[in-house]
Amino acid sequence: MSVTATRMLARDWRGGELGILAMALVLAVGVVSGISAFTSRLQGALEQESHRFLAADLVVRSSREMPVDWLEQASDGGLEVATTLAFPSMIYGASDAMQLVSVKAVSSAYPLRGDLTFSSEPFGEARAVTSGPAAGDVWLDSRLFPLLDISLGQSITLGDASFKVTGAVRGEPDQAAGMYGYGPRLLMNYADIDSTGVVQPGSRVEFRHLYAGDADALQQHREQLEPQLQPGQRLIDINQGQPGIGKALARAESFLLLAGSLGVVLAGVAIALAAGRFSERHNDYVAIMKSLGATSGSINFLYGRSLLLLGGIATVAGCLLGWGIQALFFKLFADQLPIKPGPGGMRPYLIGSATALTCLMSFAWPPLRRLSLASPLRVLRRDMPMETRRSARDYLIGLVAISALMLWYSGDWKLTAAVISGLFITVSLGMVLAMTLLKGGRIVGMSAGSIWRLALAGLQRRGTANSLQVVIFAMAIMLLLVLVLVRTSLIDEWKTQLPEDAPNHFMINIGPQDLQPVEQMLREEGVPSEALYPMIRGRIMAVNDEALPSTREVEDGPRQRETNLTWSTVLPTGNELTAGEWWPEDTTEALVSVEAEFAQRMGIGVGDKVSFLVGAQPLEATVANLRQLDWQSMRPNFFLVFPPDVLASYPATFMTSFHLDAENKVFLNRFIRSFPTVTVIEMDLVIDQVRSIVNQVSAAVELVLAVILATGALVLVAGVQASVDARMHESSILRALGARRSLILGGLFIEFAALGLFAGVLATVAAELSVAILQIWVLEMTYAPSPWLWPLGLSVGTALIAGLGVFSCRKVVSSPPVALLREL
Amino acid sequence: MLEILKGITLEIKSGESVAIVGASGSGKSTLLGLLAGLDEASDGRVIIGDTDLGELDEDARALFRGREVGFVFQSFQLLPALTALENVMLPLELQGQSDAKEQAEQFLARVELGERMLHYPKQMSGGEQQRVAIARAFAAAPRILFADEPTGNLDTRTGAHIVDLLFELNREQGTTLVLVTHDMTLAERCQRRLVLDAGELVEG
Repeated sequence: MSVTATRMLARDWRGGELGILAMALVLAVGVVSGISAFTSRLQGALEQESHRFLAADLVVRSSREMPVDWLEQASDGGLEVATTLAFPSMIYGASDAMQLVSVKAVSSAYPLRGDLTFSSEPFGEARAVTSGPAAGDVWLDSRLFPLLDISLGQSITLGDASFKVTGAVRGEPDQAAGMYGYGPRLLMNYADIDSTGVVQPGSRVEFRHLYAGDADALQQHREQLEPQLQPGQRLIDINQGQPGIGKALARAESFLLLAGSLGVVLAGVAIALAAGRFSERHNDYVAIMKSLGATSGSINFLYGRSLLLLGGIATVAGCLLGWGIQALFFKLFADQLPIKPGPGGMRPYLIGSATALTCLMSFAWPPLRRLSLASPLRVLRRDMPMETRRSARDYLIGLVAISALMLWYSGDWKLTAAVISGLFITVSLGMVLAMTLLKGGRIVGMSAGSIWRLALAGLQRRGTANSLQVVIFAMAIMLLLVLVLVRTSLIDEWKTQLPEDAPNHFMINIGPQDLQPVEQMLREEGVPSEALYPMIRGRIMAVNDEALPSTREVEDGPRQRETNLTWSTVLPTGNELTAGEWWPEDTTEALVSVEAEFAQRMGIGVGDKVSFLVGAQPLEATVANLRQLDWQSMRPNFFLVFPPDVLASYPATFMTSFHLDAENKVFLNRFIRSFPTVTVIEMDLVIDQVRSIVNQVSAAVELVLAVILATGALVLVAGVQASVDARMHESSILRALGARRSLILGGLFIEFAALGLFAGVLATVAAELSVAILQIWVLEMTYAPSPWLWPLGLSVGTALIAGLGVFSCRKVVSSPPVALLREL
Repeated sequence: MLEILKGITLEIKSGESVAIVGASGSGKSTLLGLLAGLDEASDGRVIIGDTDLGELDEDARALFRGREVGFVFQSFQLLPALTALENVMLPLELQGQSDAKEQAEQFLARVELGERMLHYPKQMSGGEQQRVAIARAFAAAPRILFADEPTGNLDTRTGAHIVDLLFELNREQGTTLVLVTHDMTLAERCQRRLVLDAGELVEG
């Protein structure tokens, strides 16, 4: 029997169903293992990248000096340690030129992660170095050389000490971290701090302890530190690393998981269809074998074995495909990737194999198992009923299997529930709708010409089978539309979030006297900038006359807070009101507009009275409205906005953000020379990094989409093939009765096109609904209807199904009808 | 319930050849299905040798068919996925015989298809296919052979040749032959003729 099993498998390949079954399995395994390998490798890479952003694995930040014990304990525990100290200060160069700089003092072990880059002359070729300047030396930002009018080897003065300038600092891994990262950098040795005398108790400084090492030792150290932390001291790890990247990536991951799950649904349907047709065609074989003495057990054994063999081959091929997908991706985009992908491990391929096994057992096996129930009497009487009808139990097994797989991949029951219920509604409503549409088609067809009557009568005759087919087509098209839609809006949102010309520099500390000259210079140099916003430091003291606890007493929740206040006559760009109303331009009322999340944290609502302290003067205002805004927009964003009149009497500096291309950065030198008191914060490096990661993730999304499209196409092919036998039979009879080729092909075309059109209608409606649900509840994006979906859904449905259908049935007009009738 | 066969009492002796004739729809196929154990009777009994088919379940009947019963069908019923040789080997393999291949080759040579053993059914004419089916039926050395319109899909000459072969092998192997047909010339060659008319059987 064993030879026969392999033999039959090989020969049946030519029947087509096995090819589809195997392809569907290969794609299911490939999609699942590929996506899973891709995300796990990318996650590994991003973890590394986040460590790089911290220059360490774990950081403690403090506004005061921290106990040296902490470092010693960490060293004893096998961790690497380093210390940094950052603060703004004025320095003096030759000929009394002075400049506000952002000083960073680092111990010799810095950085523990990532690269410190240095060039031996300003704007020279940058190279990575293992530690910062030696004691007595400083490295300056290239921009500082012309500003201070000094060259290499000369000295600068910082506080009580002077230092020799021995090079230019070009990049630090944790550049963007810390609140005193403003202004051009001066990098010095931590050991020289005392000699400068600039750091006094109460100075605005930031101390950092950096730790790196293995996870267990880090965890142990962390547990030791946590109870000892004072207010103003914070542990920072990679989770707080890069919220911008984190959000984009989390969504991309949801999308990929969604795509993977839908891929498996599609593959499952293709497998079920192919197995169903395979089993239908094998009913006669089984009857013959039974008449020759084969028992149900031996039939089950024969087909089970074939299935396992096929499953094994398909799983290996699928794992190879999955490996290929992720390898191809990392290979194609390796250059753009600032990070090295982590190892994928075996887990993705285990997941893929488990998927194959589940798909086989729950989609392919039920129809094949029923084969053994075929009556041997079929050898005498072909009109015996076939044992191929799917029972409710089959559907239930499929549904449970799919839900379990989806839940397993995503670990997200919300996503799983959304997709499963979407599918359920599509299928059940689809059946009703499809039957109605088919009936309507028949009535229309009654009054039409013969070719139409033929085609539409054909549709109605196999009403239930056709309805099921329409629903399956609709489901495949719907899932594809959903993916295209979600992908489009996801990528669009990323692009709008970080457009090419997004502001990448902030400018703060612009004095009122500099306001117009700064605006003028930006305009004259053609630098696109946001509006200039005033900035007034203020402290929120009480809500509805109830005093808030101080920062020292409470870490989270409502408490006193120092923050920047601004004024505006109009709702700032990119802000959206969530409650209350914006004030008229000329209001003189004491009102305030509060950012929604901030309001929630502070327990403030519309109509509440909030008391502030600005400088030494009290200020009271009533909350007029709440605003939502995008913190990743790189525009000037404020928690608290007042009408201009309310803040007019307080001293303000101004801020804005603007976009500067890398090649125009030299503008900053001219600008800083003209406005030495203005501080410029350079965010371009960080933004570029975020953008490049987002680009790569978008590319991954596209790649996965392409694979899923292939799976969808397979479902369509399997679906069309499922009905080819019956249609061929009828067409052969028609041909034998003398119907012309054009009549038969035309009839088939109309029949399939009608099926496709109905499927397209259903799919479009269902896709629009599912996308709305997904965007609102799962991906947490805003939903916008997509009118272009209609022409796309309808034309794709009609063209694809009609094309595939006629192609699959082309044999009916190319072979003699007698041969066909005998064969079928 | 529709009664298709009525009060049929029929005894066929070992080694006998019997033709059952009747018009379309007279119940020939139903009777054959019952006699061969392909179907279960709603009432009455079918006994082959010492075995009461009614007491066996479907799997036991399958094993019984494999051991004791051979078939030749009007539409040949070869497995299109298997070669002529593999088709003949199938019942032998199902019985677990280790020399299935040799036996199958022998029988194919006996039906003059020794040169075409590796061809698939699709590549053969109707007559050739029916010879493969005959080889398959006799290869398993059944005690009783059922033939359902074995010449129904063949032209007269080929049909005659097939019938000769069938009877030759029947004699050689000492098999009991039960033949269902509406072809009276074919029926004439059997030792007994039974006419089935509207579900009732009369000796003809």
